[in-house]
Amino acid sequence: MIATASGLSYTYPAGDAPALRDASFHLEAGSFTLLAGPSAGGKSTLLRALNGLVPQFHGGRYAGTVTVAGLDAARTPARQIALAAGMVFQEPEAQAVADTVEDEVAFGMEQHGIAPAEMHRRMDEVLARVGVEHLRRRRLSTLSGGERQRVAIAAVLVLQPSLLLLDEPTSQLDPDGAAAVLAAVESLHRDRGLTIAIAEHRLERLLPLAGGVLEVEAGRVTAMSPREAGSRLRAVPPVCDLARRLGLDPMPLSVPEAAGLLRGHGLSCEVAPDPAPAGPPILRAEGLRVVYGELAALDGVSLSLHAGEVVALVGPNGSGKTTLFRALVGLQKLESGRVCHFDDEAPAAVQQRTAFTGLVPQDPAVALYHDTLRAELADTLRRRGHRAGVSTTLARWGLDPLAGRNPRDLSVGQQQRVAIAAMLAHEPPVWLLDEPTRGADGEAKAWLAARLREHAARGGAAIVSTHDIESAARYATRVVGLREGRVAFDLPAREAFSAAGPVPTQVARLVPGAILPEEVVRR
Amino acid sequence: MHPLAWLAWVTLVMVVSLTATNPLYLVVVLLAVVLVGVLAPRTSTAVAGVRTLAMAGTALFLMSLAVAVLNGGYGEHVLFAMPGPDFPGWMGGLRLGGPVAAESLVAAGVRGLSISCVLLAFGVFNGAVSPYRVLRTAPAALFHAGLIVTVGLTLLPSSIEDIRRIREMQALRGGATGVRNLPGLVVPAVIGGLERSMKLAEAMEARGYASAARPPAPARLAALSSAPLLLPSGWAWFYYDSARWLAVAGAVAAAGALLWWATAAAKTSHVTRFRREPLTPIDRAAIGGSLALAAAAFALRSLGAAGLAYNPFAGLAWPEFEPAGALLALAVAWPAAHAVLLPGAARHGELPASAAPEGTNVVAEVHP
Repeated sequence: MIATASGLSYTYPAGDAPALRDASFHLEAGSFTLLAGPSAGGKSTLLRALNGLVPQFHGGRYAGTVTVAGLDAARTPARQIALAAGMVFQEPEAQAVADTVEDEVAFGMEQHGIAPAEMHRRMDEVLARVGVEHLRRRRLSTLSGGERQRVAIAAVLVLQPSLLLLDEPTSQLDPDGAAAVLAAVESLHRDRGLTIAIAEHRLERLLPLAGGVLEVEAGRVTAMSPREAGSRLRAVPPVCDLARRLGLDPMPLSVPEAAGLLRGHGLSCEVAPDPAPAGPPILRAEGLRVVYGELAALDGVSLSLHAGEVVALVGPNGSGKTTLFRALVGLQKLESGRVCHFDDEAPAAVQQRTAFTGLVPQDPAVALYHDTLRAELADTLRRRGHRAGVSTTLARWGLDPLAGRNPRDLSVGQQQRVAIAAMLAHEPPVWLLDEPTRGADGEAKAWLAARLREHAARGGAAIVSTHDIESAARYATRVVGLREGRVAFDLPAREAFSAAGPVPTQVARLVPGAILPEEVVRR
Repeated sequence: MHPLAWLAWVTLVMVVSLTATNPLYLVVVLLAVVLVGVLAPRTSTAVAGVRTLAMAGTALFLMSLAVAVLNGGYGEHVLFAMPGPDFPGWMGGLRLGGPVAAESLVAAGVRGLSISCVLLAFGVFNGAVSPYRVLRTAPAALFHAGLIVTVGLTLLPSSIEDIRRIREMQALRGGATGVRNLPGLVVPAVIGGLERSMKLAEAMEARGYASAARPPAPARLAALSSAPLLLPSGWAWFYYDSARWLAVAGAVAAAGALLWWATAAAKTSHVTRFRREPLTPIDRAAIGGSLALAAAAFALRSLGAAGLAYNPFAGLAWPEFEPAGALLALAVAWPAAHAVLLPGAARHGELPASAAPEGTNVVAEVHP
């Protein structure tokens, strides 16, 4: 037994509700435990309780006991706990101390006064183990998110902890970076028998790996097996959702497993046809070309958007998605090409252009600054000279319950929703959303999908850049793929998400013709 | 080049450009600093780019000229007069407007020039040596204080980036980015900065950083007592000729107390260093040379030799240009020679050739 918690309750100093309520659980040595549950449910707090940051760093009211490798986590000084339980945080940028990879990894060892010869030995070993050996002399600022996150893991591993805690380590990464990080974590567990506890929203990859699941919701912790989790959790991968609907037993955790179970079941699908776009395009981009130095970030991108369309914009990092958005609203100077609203050339000023084409950049919550959500929305409406009342806007965005709350006190997921509403309160006909579901939990994704469908039904249109294919399948009517600044494909959603398409969903790989679990019926 | 050698160079630039008031020499110093900036390896995540500092230098230069114009100025060669109110004498001789003399303009220009030299030198230093490398050369007693400062500096670029993003987002919300919307810019930037610092502090603690064990109480008391010792010593030195021996004794005692504390602090700090950069003989020579040159600048200035001092109010004559002074100003360019003659040594401890070249992440680094 490497870690045990019994009767753990905890309230943050500024919090009015407990973040953890009477939690009791244990982690076996060499186990791989997945922490699942909605954001702000208490997953991060639980991890922090396991290495003493709660309550030692955060303060607050604490009851119960947590023992990690024989140490009392609430009382053992941070220096000692760090040797037993290493912690990797969500954002790679927010945990780096030094500016080169070697210095960053050496930091913890320097703090513990480890002899230089031993430091060099551990450094070589750990860098090789997480696959960043080739980056050792690089500066952190030149690394990708996935590389930085692996460096962060290395920086923790050099202290040789017996328990590795990871707090949503891939939520800020693109799929390739996330896959590399999870592969590194998996090999640490498999080859080295390291005990792992990881909080994640991307269950698709982790459910098959995990030995056990702790569901953390509203501060309550329930232990279950991965298969139980597949049938009991609120947000599960589409494979589990499909299996639930069909009543499959045992619960499959991956697509190949489900394919085996589904063999012989006569399945077909019922699909409501998407309405074909009608009328003239309301937003048109013609031959957009943007050049950074020698590199063409956009190389002749043409795109037209009709009323009622929601386009999912997909493509690897650096393919030009963000640049395309910036070009569409006039934040980015064009080398050539033009942007039209209906038949007219779009106005040059960003302020006027965004009255028609609202852009929500990544992490919009950083721009919030009022005391209440109500004031935040009123601010946007005032700036836009918009007549709609704040109450109407609140209702439209489904945010009435939060109206009087301070945006800074909300959970990250709620903040994100508030920020999207604040950026688009003036209801522009075209919405541009840059990775709005990054790091979001199931509830936040469902909220966004609902808002996008309403917007399209009212005759609006939207482009949403995303890496999250499964949630895009819930709102997109069309999928545009970018690659190296060019349009690689532009397909109707049903074709793009199908098994033969460029971005198949899990369900599409199991049941021909369907892309969502609810479309599948028994014959 | 070793961080200490760089520090010595910055000190040299500072001393020369603040002791010399001869504009010709200052121009030579400025060119020398620019040359070093062009040839020196740019390896650290610069806190503020050379360009920003160059712009700040130019702005300061222009500002000091503008103040001279607004303020009017004494001198014989009156160029023009600025309209302005007459302030009564009891306001302490406050001046606004009035005749503007060429002499005061030249004096302001010289001041601006020397400040520009210093700023630019800091920009070059900052681009060539990362704060973390400087920290590693700090003595053990100062390591923890230095670490806090260094880590604080790593937050600065992201805060600047934050401000840029927030500005953009307020524009996307339809707001003007003028003074009226300042709260919309400042509040999120400050809160974001605080949140980021908290996250970093948490991450540091999780990796075992805790303020090191403190030195024993007597050593700390000794360090505290050094200031109360020094103050009366200084007083005695300047005001009581007969008690100078007492002042010297007090100063020696204070220095001893500080030394005791520093050794005790170094002993209690269990921090080790992953890599120590050795001082090469060339580095040592460079440091010695720089300090000697700085001392020479002081000496020449106080002797009034080599035309280092220039007084525009003495008839606005063309400044002298003597070999000794010119060579001193030119010597400021020594890191450039170092970079050209010893390109390998200049990059010592930095990214080796096998590392990916700068700018591999072009897309991520460009912020149009």
